[in-house]
Amino acid sequence: MQAYRSMVLVSGDPKSLALGAQAVYERIQDEVKALGMQDEISILLTGDVGKSDALPLVVIYPEATIYGPVSVEDVPYLVEEHLYKGRIAHNLTVDVRLQSGKTAWLSARKGTMPAEHRIVLERAGLIDPESIEDYILHDGYMAIAKMLQEMSPEQVLQELQDSGLRGRGGAGFPTGLKWKFVAKANGSKKYLVCNADESEPGTFKDRQILEGDPHLILEAMAVAGYAVGADEGYIYVRGEYALAQQRLLRAIEQAEEMGFLGENIFGTQFSFKIRIHSGAGAYICGEETALLESLEGKRGEPRSRPPYPTTHGLFGKPTLVNNVETLANVPAIIVHGAQWYHNIGTASSPGTKCYTILGNVNQTGLIEVPMGITLREVIAIYAKGMQPGSQLKLAQTGGSSGSIVPASLQDTPMDFDSYAKASVSLGSGALLICDQETCVVDLARVLMNFFRNESCGKCNPCRIATQRSYEILERISMGKGTLEDIDKLEDMSSNLFEMSNCGLGQTAATPMRDILIHFRAEVEAHVRLGVCPSGVCPMHEPVASLVYG
Amino acid sequence: MVVLTIDGKQLEVPEGTTVLRAAQQAGIHVPTLCDHPELTPYGGCRLCLVEVEGARTLQPSCTLPASSGMVVHTSTDKVRTARKFVLTLLFSERNHFCPFCEVSGEDCDLQQAAYGEDMDHWPLQPNWEPQPVDASHPFILMDQNRCILCRRCVRACAELTGAFTLGFEERGARSALVADYGLPLGESTCLSCGMCVQVCPTGALVDKRSAYLGQKSVLEHNQTICLECSMGCGIDVLSRNDQVVRIEGNWEAPVNDGVLCVNGRYLSLDDNRDRLQSPLVRKDGQLVPASWDEALDAAAAGLKPLIGKNGSGVAAAASTRLTAESLYLFKELFAGKMGSALVTSTEQGAATAAAARLAESLGKPFEAKFDALKNADCIVLVGAELNEQNPVAGLITRRLRATGAKLVIIDQGDNSLSELADSALLVKEGSLSDLIAGLTAAVVKQGLSRLETALDGRKALSAATVKTGISADAFLTTARMIAGASQPVIVFGQNLAEPAVLLDLAAATSAGIVSLKGGANSLAASQLGLDQPFTVNGQQAVYLALGDEDPTESLVKSLAAAPFLVVQASHKSALTEKADVVLPVEAWVERQGSFFSADGRLQQAVSSVSLPEAARDSQAVLVELAARMDIPLDAGGWQEAFNRRISPVTIY
Repeated sequence: MQAYRSMVLVSGDPKSLALGAQAVYERIQDEVKALGMQDEISILLTGDVGKSDALPLVVIYPEATIYGPVSVEDVPYLVEEHLYKGRIAHNLTVDVRLQSGKTAWLSARKGTMPAEHRIVLERAGLIDPESIEDYILHDGYMAIAKMLQEMSPEQVLQELQDSGLRGRGGAGFPTGLKWKFVAKANGSKKYLVCNADESEPGTFKDRQILEGDPHLILEAMAVAGYAVGADEGYIYVRGEYALAQQRLLRAIEQAEEMGFLGENIFGTQFSFKIRIHSGAGAYICGEETALLESLEGKRGEPRSRPPYPTTHGLFGKPTLVNNVETLANVPAIIVHGAQWYHNIGTASSPGTKCYTILGNVNQTGLIEVPMGITLREVIAIYAKGMQPGSQLKLAQTGGSSGSIVPASLQDTPMDFDSYAKASVSLGSGALLICDQETCVVDLARVLMNFFRNESCGKCNPCRIATQRSYEILERISMGKGTLEDIDKLEDMSSNLFEMSNCGLGQTAATPMRDILIHFRAEVEAHVRLGVCPSGVCPMHEPVASLVYG
Repeated sequence: MVVLTIDGKQLEVPEGTTVLRAAQQAGIHVPTLCDHPELTPYGGCRLCLVEVEGARTLQPSCTLPASSGMVVHTSTDKVRTARKFVLTLLFSERNHFCPFCEVSGEDCDLQQAAYGEDMDHWPLQPNWEPQPVDASHPFILMDQNRCILCRRCVRACAELTGAFTLGFEERGARSALVADYGLPLGESTCLSCGMCVQVCPTGALVDKRSAYLGQKSVLEHNQTICLECSMGCGIDVLSRNDQVVRIEGNWEAPVNDGVLCVNGRYLSLDDNRDRLQSPLVRKDGQLVPASWDEALDAAAAGLKPLIGKNGSGVAAAASTRLTAESLYLFKELFAGKMGSALVTSTEQGAATAAAARLAESLGKPFEAKFDALKNADCIVLVGAELNEQNPVAGLITRRLRATGAKLVIIDQGDNSLSELADSALLVKEGSLSDLIAGLTAAVVKQGLSRLETALDGRKALSAATVKTGISADAFLTTARMIAGASQPVIVFGQNLAEPAVLLDLAAATSAGIVSLKGGANSLAASQLGLDQPFTVNGQQAVYLALGDEDPTESLVKSLAAAPFLVVQASHKSALTEKADVVLPVEAWVERQGSFFSADGRLQQAVSSVSLPEAARDSQAVLVELAARMDIPLDAGGWQEAFNRRISPVTIY
């Protein structure tokens, strides 16, 4: 392979593209060519390089200098200064505080930022997601090669089980065990489904993986298909993730061309095909059985379990459904071995976890850190602390279906078991950090508004109780609540959990339950004193002149 | 078998049984709303939740398969609280003010469930927005305000009838029942089979005709069979004060398993004709009311001289909607005792004569039972217009089609099911036989025939393509479809003149052959030999046992010159206007007797309402008339008569 003296990455996430990243990318190519440097410098349009106010970003290695926002007009000057004259164009560099997760990691090489531990995001933002060569160059498709040469399906299953990998979609079910269920299920036709319907508000980890490193998922799916005996895989991608879909399609095309996917891969008996299915905007389709219904062309409503998808999944066949982040761990486990993986994270929850940090902190964005880190560490180190004047009141984990974690739990290790012991859950990995100006009634009301709209409507408790709970919370926020309303909320939350058909209804109960456990006094203040201690709730009905004036 | 414990009772049930069914079999009552024995379990209403030891949360018993060692409790405090919560929520969701509802009382499952849980108030403030009522459908009223979103109707529309008209739009609290993405029901693809109304647990889907005419418990129920076609579907006729209020499908019926079509449920009661109010006799050119004695005497006087006159005597035709007993007596009287040459049915053997001849030439039955159709994985419709003539067979076809069965249509012109077909071979007039021969050839040519045959597939196929103008490719694909099925069935209708051509195709593909015949007792008429053309030519009298059949225009026209016409009918018609003697008889709901379904099943029709004062039973009229001609006539040993001829399908 050719050696380059410099490498230019242009951020290629949807927002950057909307702000002209493509034109910047092309202009850089033109300018570099004009200066005759095209053989010395590689230029890539890559995945997301970090949520930022300075898009589109241009990162130039080996100096790891970050420029942004870069316009087409800036390009000639930038190329001439940095690449031709070898001087950093300081007037175009971006304030490091505007940078989040990924750029933070990039900066880590310069020793300015704390290091993350990247497994699933190892290549995202560093390679050209539309180039299979680039993926292979960065050790891609090594897992398939190793697996087909050295491992039987049973060995792959064992390796997975030994690694201790647990599902990253929220429930934390042991992945190896799930794979074994599918492998053992009766029937010659089996399916593999990658759940990429990432719909939890505030969660965007899967998107970064799909947009930044699509081949990783294809490789992981081929490994999974080999292990469980499936020859057909579907990636159910959230409809809004147009770029991810486009890059996945491109990646499948390339992988088929190169023989990593298709019939008789590398002359073995193993065949595997992958198809992309676009979701249509329903949150419920992230629930695995609703996803399967939707994939079959039906209305996205969760099925009753048992039977489970491992025996009766897509089109009634045994089906393995895994989240994107879960799958993204697989190639590394195969390449480096279970022991290596087990050494990362905690004993019962090995590996890393991606978190999307949001809220009243100095630095938001995506990070990947070992399991077992505490909320205090995440805020202090990766989020650069709370915003000036803010104190941590609570964190809402895992999007709307997660938990409300009070500040008192900020030293609890963030892994599946420690969190379960504390009656909270990690969920999908969104961390909404809230300060003292957040009202818990308002938070619960907003979350319940989400659930009442996103409930599929199949089962009565979820369909109706989310609506009734929302009405009660709204009543309380308008100063019209009663103590009886609080009892009703408690009722609703326990019944929703006990009686709902799927995870949506069960977790819809969580915000109400959590605020009444941890912040009951604050809720009661709304009712007894008629005030919102945080000053958020209106405590009166909407005033007509404000609404219509 | 699995052994589980429910409420301390140890039960043994077959594997795959749900906890709910296991409980029901043991006599343990678990309240339900979305569950229906004929529909797939849904698990939506959550009223049937039970406590299962070891389970994290309450479990829906309707979807939970029983497993060995399972310990279930159906009436703990937790379960009862959960039930109340479900009902509380439902009552808060829509307008469930019972006093104003059509089904308030025992007909409402929601109300019954609430009483069952001792609910006497609504713990939650109801909060709903009134929804418009959809009254656009001629037979069905759709009232969203009463809907509990249990999806029984949606499942019935899909699973029982394959119509897929009903569905749900929106999500969460805005979820609502819709027809075809939101069309008014009356403008939708609804087939008007009314299954949705039959399964609706509340007053959300209401039968317009019977609304507010009484709860099911106060209505009289009569399990009988539908006479609209030859399928012999089981129906439950609900009546009050000798008025039919409503017809429902009988879930226990072997032919239709509860499914009914628009003809059976609605159109059979849509009768605007006038009933005959008394016997009529023509005096001085005027048809005037008369007593039964006068009328019968007048008829006997006209007919008696014609005994033994054979070809110039009396020409007689009976409706195939009459009972087997009546048809037998009719045949006995006119052909047997009076020796008339022209004794037939109004159907004139159009749908049965060819098959009867074929059976006779084969010396054995060749048709299969309806079960073959109900379990088919490939249905070949040959000249059969199911939507009009046998809609229930059409519904069965639709629902099988939805579960993956292939549908092949072979017809002249167009067929109303062809848009659903996997393959539709439609030819111009006259070459249906060529088409079937071509298909058989295509099976043989591809080496798919299940039987050794001397047929030269290649030659026969190219001959068929020339004759029918249909490509060899179409023949070959369709042939693969049929031959590839494990239980194919060929259904032929009246458009196929000669069913003999089907035998080769059926043999080559191991397909069953089903014929749907004509009227309700079409097979009975055929077995009695009442299947010749009714061509009146020189006879001195004509006797028509019409029953409640509406005479066709051509029949009326052909009898314009009849010297002496006796009509035995329930309603006034153009024919009774022309008659010399009119004898009023029963309509179908009053009819009592035996019927042979198209697949040879002997079933009983019972009268659901009493005969009007003026009318008599067809059977009694024939006996009485015979008596006045000094002919002894009785129905004893009538069953014998139906076995004198080899039947196209086994009779039992």
